[in-house]
Amino acid sequence: MRISTSTFYNESVTSMNQMQVNIAQTTQQLATGRKILSPADDPAAAARASELTQTDSANTQFGSNRIAATNVLSLADGVLQSVTNLLLDAKDVSAAAANGMLDPAARKSMAVDIQGRLQELLGLANSTDGTGNYIFAGAQGKVQPFADTAAGVVYQGDDVQRKVQAAPGRQIPITDSGADIFMRIRNGNGTFNASPALANTGDSTINQGIVTDTALYDGHTYQIVFTAANTYDINDVTTGLPVSAGNAYVSGQAISFKGIQFEIKGTPAINDKFDVAPSKNQSIFDTLTKLVATLNTNIPTGSPMNVATYRQGLSDAFNTLDQSLSSVLGVRATMGARLNELDALNVTGENLGLEYKATLSKIQDTDYNKAISDLTQQQMVLTAAQKSFSQVSKMSLFDYL
Amino acid sequence: MAGIYGIGVSALKAAQAGIAATTHNIANANTPGYSRQEVMQAAGMAQNTGSGYFGQGANVTSVLRRYDQFLGVQVLEAQTQTSNLTAQFDLAQEVSNLFGDPNGGLTPALQDFFGAVNTVSNAPESIAARQTMIGSAQSLVNRLDTFDQRLSQIRESLNGRMTSSVTLINSYAKQIAALNDNIVQLQAKTPGQAPNDLLDQRDLLVSQLSQEVRVTTVSQPEGSMDVFIGNGQSLVVGNKISSLHTVTSATDPTALDVAYLNNGKSAKIQQSELQGGNLGGYLDFRQNILDPAVNSLGRIAIGLAETFNQQHQQGMDLKGALGSTFFASAAPRTTPASSNLGSGALTATISNASALTASDYSVQFDGVNYNIFDTTSNTLVQSFTAAQLTAGQVVAGTGITLQLTGVASVGDSFLVRPTADAAKGITLNITDPTKIAAASPVRSNAPISNTGMGVIGAAAVDPTAVPLLPLNANLQNLVTVTFTDATHFTVTDNTTATNLAVGTLYDPAVGATLSFNGWTAKLTGAPSASDTFTIQRNTNASSDGSNVLKMAELQTANTMANGTTSYQGAYGQLISQVGTQTRELDVTSKAQSSMLAQVVKAQQSTSGVNLDEEAANLLKYQQAYQAAAKAMAISQSMFDSLLQLGG
Repeated sequence: MRISTSTFYNESVTSMNQMQVNIAQTTQQLATGRKILSPADDPAAAARASELTQTDSANTQFGSNRIAATNVLSLADGVLQSVTNLLLDAKDVSAAAANGMLDPAARKSMAVDIQGRLQELLGLANSTDGTGNYIFAGAQGKVQPFADTAAGVVYQGDDVQRKVQAAPGRQIPITDSGADIFMRIRNGNGTFNASPALANTGDSTINQGIVTDTALYDGHTYQIVFTAANTYDINDVTTGLPVSAGNAYVSGQAISFKGIQFEIKGTPAINDKFDVAPSKNQSIFDTLTKLVATLNTNIPTGSPMNVATYRQGLSDAFNTLDQSLSSVLGVRATMGARLNELDALNVTGENLGLEYKATLSKIQDTDYNKAISDLTQQQMVLTAAQKSFSQVSKMSLFDYL
Repeated sequence: MAGIYGIGVSALKAAQAGIAATTHNIANANTPGYSRQEVMQAAGMAQNTGSGYFGQGANVTSVLRRYDQFLGVQVLEAQTQTSNLTAQFDLAQEVSNLFGDPNGGLTPALQDFFGAVNTVSNAPESIAARQTMIGSAQSLVNRLDTFDQRLSQIRESLNGRMTSSVTLINSYAKQIAALNDNIVQLQAKTPGQAPNDLLDQRDLLVSQLSQEVRVTTVSQPEGSMDVFIGNGQSLVVGNKISSLHTVTSATDPTALDVAYLNNGKSAKIQQSELQGGNLGGYLDFRQNILDPAVNSLGRIAIGLAETFNQQHQQGMDLKGALGSTFFASAAPRTTPASSNLGSGALTATISNASALTASDYSVQFDGVNYNIFDTTSNTLVQSFTAAQLTAGQVVAGTGITLQLTGVASVGDSFLVRPTADAAKGITLNITDPTKIAAASPVRSNAPISNTGMGVIGAAAVDPTAVPLLPLNANLQNLVTVTFTDATHFTVTDNTTATNLAVGTLYDPAVGATLSFNGWTAKLTGAPSASDTFTIQRNTNASSDGSNVLKMAELQTANTMANGTTSYQGAYGQLISQVGTQTRELDVTSKAQSSMLAQVVKAQQSTSGVNLDEEAANLLKYQQAYQAAAKAMAISQSMFDSLLQLGG
């Protein structure tokens, strides 16, 4: 085959050009640290890298969301820790106040103490985060959730729970409604509430009892009426029908009907009444206010009825504080569970982040060993081409003419 | 003796001619398009002397051009392919680099934006967080606009390239026509002898022409060469040319079409007629890469705007007003063909952003039906009668609604580009940070006085409400759910004082989903008789981020391409589509270039000048010349010998 002289030159120049393009490409890979300089270099990898970048950045975003969530939850948990301590203290006071040896001054100082605690609780319930938002107000961060009115403390917030996106497909509530924590405490034993009628004249108290058979209990309101000092009737107030009549009364003996059971102690007077109604919500504020009232009760000497009312008040307060405590602890337990979940998600998130970055790096980062070895090889080939070109181009028959 | 002289002179002449041709070859060794020439010589007519035929020396019969017609056609074809692919590859690389830049692409802008949305969901009351969200939304909108501008610049430079390509074609055609004229005249003067250098020049021009557009040539016996483009559209016939020019497209004011200029009238040349060469490459690039890229980008912009707006409008802002649209997006572009005769006008609107495609549609009226074609695949999508289209129709599988006003004439057509203007047209509607609708417009509440264990879940706008937007007018009315007994409830709209449901049966073990007035809320647990629950306007909800949380979820939600991919996924598809096309062009253009090199090498092995060969030829002719001169010297000395005899 004939080779035209210009073909020889053109071919040499073209191939040296191509080698220089390759060297420039490898150099750029080394300089930028990126293997894919343009999507055309590896379209599938470029698309995958763009999606991975988003997944990784979303993962990072979830991480910051979790930090925000942890901050809010920890803050609320700290506040509820104080509430727990406050309730334990109040319980201690209500237990200590049952000591019959107390004089009125001691009770008075206890009342002052609990009154102080009530104010402290109001402050805790109206806690704000660092930016002035009430943390127990639901959606209404700028509205003070608990207000002390003439009718007692009322809740002005709402039941909205704030949530954060803690992981793909997982939203974690970070706030709890103040109503759930402070207002919705079931009085009595949580199912029913037993209370003496205000007009009672005898010296007797009633405890909160238990539900012995949930299937039998129908949620009606019942009334125990003493027809004599040792006889009582049970009436169903809801239906207006009697349940049983002429029952013999023994102090401290369990009274049970319709799946519930409780005890009445002491010596009731004729026509003394005890109501057993389904539990209602009673706020912690109300409980403390009632405790203060009980502690402030004037007990004239030799007034068995007043002593009974005092005892009843303390026992109810103790009981309701217990309910409050378990409610607050329940909320704290869910907060703890959320914090635990956030911790677990953090670990997963960090591992995923490392994995995404490793994969991303594998897809788009320059393999320096390979790139440097490529560059050396490309340089060698170019040098060889240049040398052979300069040698071969020197050969001409004209030199011999 | 006179015979020997004569023979010697003819030999000298032949050797001289050989040296001249060789020197001409050496001189033109680097002339583009030059084919080496060779002197053809033949033995002179022999003389019968009775004792045999004696030769009468050598004659130069002609100068031959070493040119292979077959290889020439191969080079033309390879050249037109190569320049076609290279032109596309160069342009595609620009688009590919635009989308692939990890810092300048859409990905970081999308991420920043949704990062800011998340931050608002973590602190809905924070004006600073809201301001950041608006700022990053603005950057996202700007980024889309920047992309569109870059693509528009590429389109403008494409138009410039098309114009200069057409100018080159016209100029080559003119020169070929002039050469045709010359060659015909010269061949007429000296029949049988070819004007080799002019033929080379003409072949070079045809080869340059084929780099711009694919041509076919027909050689005429009298020596002229006719050049055709496409399906036999004549460009050069003898010494006449038909010039091309560029005109603004009838259906797209930003695009150019190529047209014939015939007697002052221009007629558009179909793209299918303009294959190969740079010009074909430009048109292919526009159709296969540029337009789809613009459309795909627009589809992301519209998808983002529509889905984000939809969620934003289901919320309530910091001042308690219902959410407005967050982004403003551009409407589909419809252009009637400039050749339309009827009064028909077509408007297109987005009916379903998720179903949008990256295709353009051509609506053609055949006298009975309006046929809608996908211009990418050239397939019929759907047909409507005039009455149907006047009433407005959703075009299946396209996400757009078309409506006709007026009457079209037979043959009228319209081009519908649903997403072409979207990347440019997307803007931000909200600049006031308090206007971000982060909160849910409604909330549920249970009074503290409830005695039962019933719990009402968060109330939210019912996403299944029909129509979802605008939101139900009664959405924020105060609604009370009252349990008449443990298993029956009544729902009352207190604002309008109407009962929405009366005595509905409730199973505490299962719960119930309440959906009224456009909201929905779940009721669970065992409420007691006379327990109530309320659903009402979410007043003062500065800390509620339940709606912005749903907006944040859109980042990864499959909202695009009929719910098969996310915004980022759609962008990834765009990257991979452009990347794949560019890579394909890279590979094919390289393969084509090396094929061209092979064909050129083969052609050059016939026509090219090899200097060593010419040096050898020089020696050969020089020696022939010296030998002829020697023969003449011998003849001289023979004559001298005769003269001495006489002396």
